[in-house]
Amino acid sequence: MPAEVKQEQSPSNATSLAMMQEPQEVVEETVTIEEDPGTPTSHVSVVTSDDGTTRRTETKDVSSNVKVTKMVKTVTTRTVRQVPLGPDGLPLPEGSSPLGSYTDSIDRRYMKNGGDRFITPQASSTLTRSYNNSYNDSYGEAPESQYVRHYGLHDGYADLTENYGSLSRGVNFRPPRYPYMPNSYRPENSYTLPIRKDDYGHVAQPQVPMGSSTVDLNRSQPERFQAEPYGLEDDRRSLPPEEEEPYELEPDYSTANRRTGTLQGPNRGRTHREPLRDGPRVRGYPDEAIEPELIDERHPYIHSMYSAPLALPERGSMASLDRLAGRRSPSIDSMRKDPRWRDPDLTEVIAMLGHPIDPVKSNAAAYLQHLCYENDKIKKDVRQLKGIPVLVGLLDHPKSEVHRKACGALRNISYGKDNDNKVAIKICDGIPGLVRLLRKTNDMEVRELITGTLWNLSSYEPLKMVIINHGLQTLTNEVIIPHSGWEHEPNEDSKPRDAEWTTVFKNTSGCLRNVSSDGAEARRRLRECEGLVDALLHALQSAVGKKDMDNKSVENCVCIMRNLSYHVHKEVPGAERFQDPSAPQTPGSAGPQRKKKDDAGCFGGKKAKGRKNGDNDKNYDTIDLPKRCEPTKGFELLYQPEVVRLYLSLLTESQNYNTLEAAAGALQNLSAGQWTWSNYIRATVRKEKGLPILVELLRSDSDKVVRAVSIALRNLSIDRRNKDLIGSYAMRDLVSNLPSGQQRPAKNLEEDTVVAILNTIHEIVTDSSENARSLAQAQAIEKLVAINRTSQSARETKAASHVLQTVWSYKELRNALTKDGWNKSHFQPTATVTPKATKNGKPGYDDTTLPLMEKNQGTRKCGSGDMTPMEEPGPDGYSTIDQRDKDLKYKTVDGSLEQTEREPLKNDTNRKHYIRSNRPAVSLVDACDVKPQPVDSWV
Amino acid sequence: MTFSNVPSLQRIEIKKLRQGDNLILGFSIGGGIDQDPGQNPFSDDKADKGIYVTRITPGGPAETADLRMGDKIMQVNGYDMTMMTHDQARKRLTKKNEDVVRLLVTRKSLEEAVKNSMGGYQRQ
Repeated sequence: MPAEVKQEQSPSNATSLAMMQEPQEVVEETVTIEEDPGTPTSHVSVVTSDDGTTRRTETKDVSSNVKVTKMVKTVTTRTVRQVPLGPDGLPLPEGSSPLGSYTDSIDRRYMKNGGDRFITPQASSTLTRSYNNSYNDSYGEAPESQYVRHYGLHDGYADLTENYGSLSRGVNFRPPRYPYMPNSYRPENSYTLPIRKDDYGHVAQPQVPMGSSTVDLNRSQPERFQAEPYGLEDDRRSLPPEEEEPYELEPDYSTANRRTGTLQGPNRGRTHREPLRDGPRVRGYPDEAIEPELIDERHPYIHSMYSAPLALPERGSMASLDRLAGRRSPSIDSMRKDPRWRDPDLTEVIAMLGHPIDPVKSNAAAYLQHLCYENDKIKKDVRQLKGIPVLVGLLDHPKSEVHRKACGALRNISYGKDNDNKVAIKICDGIPGLVRLLRKTNDMEVRELITGTLWNLSSYEPLKMVIINHGLQTLTNEVIIPHSGWEHEPNEDSKPRDAEWTTVFKNTSGCLRNVSSDGAEARRRLRECEGLVDALLHALQSAVGKKDMDNKSVENCVCIMRNLSYHVHKEVPGAERFQDPSAPQTPGSAGPQRKKKDDAGCFGGKKAKGRKNGDNDKNYDTIDLPKRCEPTKGFELLYQPEVVRLYLSLLTESQNYNTLEAAAGALQNLSAGQWTWSNYIRATVRKEKGLPILVELLRSDSDKVVRAVSIALRNLSIDRRNKDLIGSYAMRDLVSNLPSGQQRPAKNLEEDTVVAILNTIHEIVTDSSENARSLAQAQAIEKLVAINRTSQSARETKAASHVLQTVWSYKELRNALTKDGWNKSHFQPTATVTPKATKNGKPGYDDTTLPLMEKNQGTRKCGSGDMTPMEEPGPDGYSTIDQRDKDLKYKTVDGSLEQTEREPLKNDTNRKHYIRSNRPAVSLVDACDVKPQPVDSWV
Repeated sequence: MTFSNVPSLQRIEIKKLRQGDNLILGFSIGGGIDQDPGQNPFSDDKADKGIYVTRITPGGPAETADLRMGDKIMQVNGYDMTMMTHDQARKRLTKKNEDVVRLLVTRKSLEEAVKNSMGGYQRQ
């Protein structure tokens, strides 16, 4: 979506209306984009966190924060000031109208005095116009902005500019000053606040919406705005529902009628209706989009003035768009230069957030949102000017227009790399404030803004747990569950509901994806959050059922699932009961003992013994999935064999690399542990014919997909039968991903991926001379030797060396190898390869890709049928985790095991490899094993 | 595997109900040659890979037509359904150009059906 962002900058294209309508989606994407820069790693929202959720897979997501969109269009802010009128209809002197009184004055004006009262000498009708104009301006249409008038006592209404016929421009105009506005900003805003000396001082200025019109706000929300979209259309969109109340000036203006006529949509009528009764109303927003027609009607002169846009009445908004787009247009430039108006400076805008008049607040917030869009400087300034606490305070404002705009501003402010802004929101309790508002509001737009803001906030590590503490259950109950289609107590006989891929769901799932990477505690909280796992699974099943698996929401859900699947065998309550007795449970303690055992068994020369692994085969083949009468629920769903089919469906159907990576990562995590469930998972993947699906993905163009799949295959090969199958059928695809020496393969895979593949190969050939033979037959030796000797990557060199040593350990293969021109020296570690485990900056990272074996430190069990060798690597190694997590773990948590994992290769030299004796070739798909989980389909 | 009740053959005609863009029958199926027959709670013979009715929507067309949970679908509009993959069966039943499907099903006694359905199919 970066592209989109750019677009934003160049509004040039007038977009089609259609585009505009879906700003939201766009926004989201935008978000992602922006964030990315901020958190490179972060992308992995999933992964990001400490504990390793998924590894990098998620990385990309992080970025997904929603960014606020800035609208291409510039909103013009304009303050129209309504001058309080005295009872007599005359404007009160400035000093005379205190804020509080303001209302009164307004009322009077409108109510008692009627439109006529307006100061302007001209007819009331004139006034009306002026208001309308101002609205227009607010929308950001630059051109029109000119129309806007400022009504101030000071300014004589009397003076009408030529243009406005009746309205007068403020007499006082000064040359505009643009304190904050970045250049880019300016052009668009045609409006400037009237330059009154005292303007802001007045409390009572009723005003027209600050520069940004509603429209702008809306737009801004979706930060991602596409340039095209900006147009009036957007404005309209924002306008529509005027929901409320709020801003209508109206009533009585004689012009009102006219206006109404021109207004489009449902709102039209409204204006008239509520007029007087409600007391003072300021109509801040133009509900209606700019109404070109009106303008035309009212201000004929306009055409002449700004020929472009207005000239084409029918085009209306489009015309304005064009202008905007082409800022260069002369007319715009000239407008900018118009000294009569100026934009409020940031301090003034922030001050307006506290204005007693609600529309002023909301306009100010909307304007802030606009200003902040893609402008880190302004965001920072807002923070330093203490604008954030005020915005957060407005979240509790009863009027939807106000809290909506405040939310929009917060969303933009929270987007980006500057974590200080995020922290500022947190410090003033913005997170609970957002969550509270989420519980209260049913306004979908507001919900989108809230969840978008939370998504942005969730990209910053220190805030993740805060979000979990304040918002997890609310997000789950308010958004995830209802939109997932999952029901707590489904009617057995009713058709399950499908998930709804709404923006709110996307934002929320993105937020949870990010927080799910925050370590073991975060995972625990999410797993135990009632209904969350159930709902996510339901949503994904719905996606699979509808073949709609490429969207961002699905990606987010899969990433959350992957993260929550990380270390399930160690972290879920009651996990001990499922530990596989045949496998060493605690790596740390088991390690040493095991070694001894292994040594005794097979250490003796490096001779490889053939071993049949009969036990293993037996165990796995006969695995009987537990039959349950009670439906599984909650976190237990994470590791039930049933999920295998879900992930395989995603791997088969999705075109989204992130989703593919996450699904493969989930299988990787689930197949990593040494507990009963991972045994089931490994067998189930085979039975569900998942191995060919995974192998197929080794050909993916996506580096991270290849890596995740490769590691998943390594973990799956803990299952002996899987190992045989993978060795027989996947070897060529694995090998084809290897570079030839220094020359990278076409795919140009990253070092991590190459290392992952090498480690997978290592795992597959370990304890299997048959697989080692397959490896040699796949022309891999040449590549391995080349990597071993010439690779610039020490990790690759080491990993390749490991594989070569393992291959050479099978004496029965040496003849064949020698015939092919290889000799012992090719299989020995190169001098340069020193076991420096720590050389990598990211030790943790390596773990995942390390060969499973290393932990054994040279000793492997010979006779025992254990498949356990794999276990040693520790769960972590196998699981996909966030890198950060790993690092943390290594540092703080179980250091022993994990570290071991990291430095696996060192010990390899000592390891022994066993040769498996003849195994019958098995097809990748084990026919006998085919026992898919029951499926049922509604028809 | 002897049951006191011999399965009976039933002919069921269901008129599909239009629901949005879809024509629905109001029941769900399980089984198929690509599924694990061992997990079918309705079959007597655990090697039976036939298509079974697993759930019925209350008030839906299938219920109206008196289709029952646990019925094994032998034919749909004359097509044999006993050697089909799950998905093929689903497609056969959901053809958009057929408003009516005629099923030939075998049904165990109610008692047996209830007993066997306790576990329920686990939805994925």
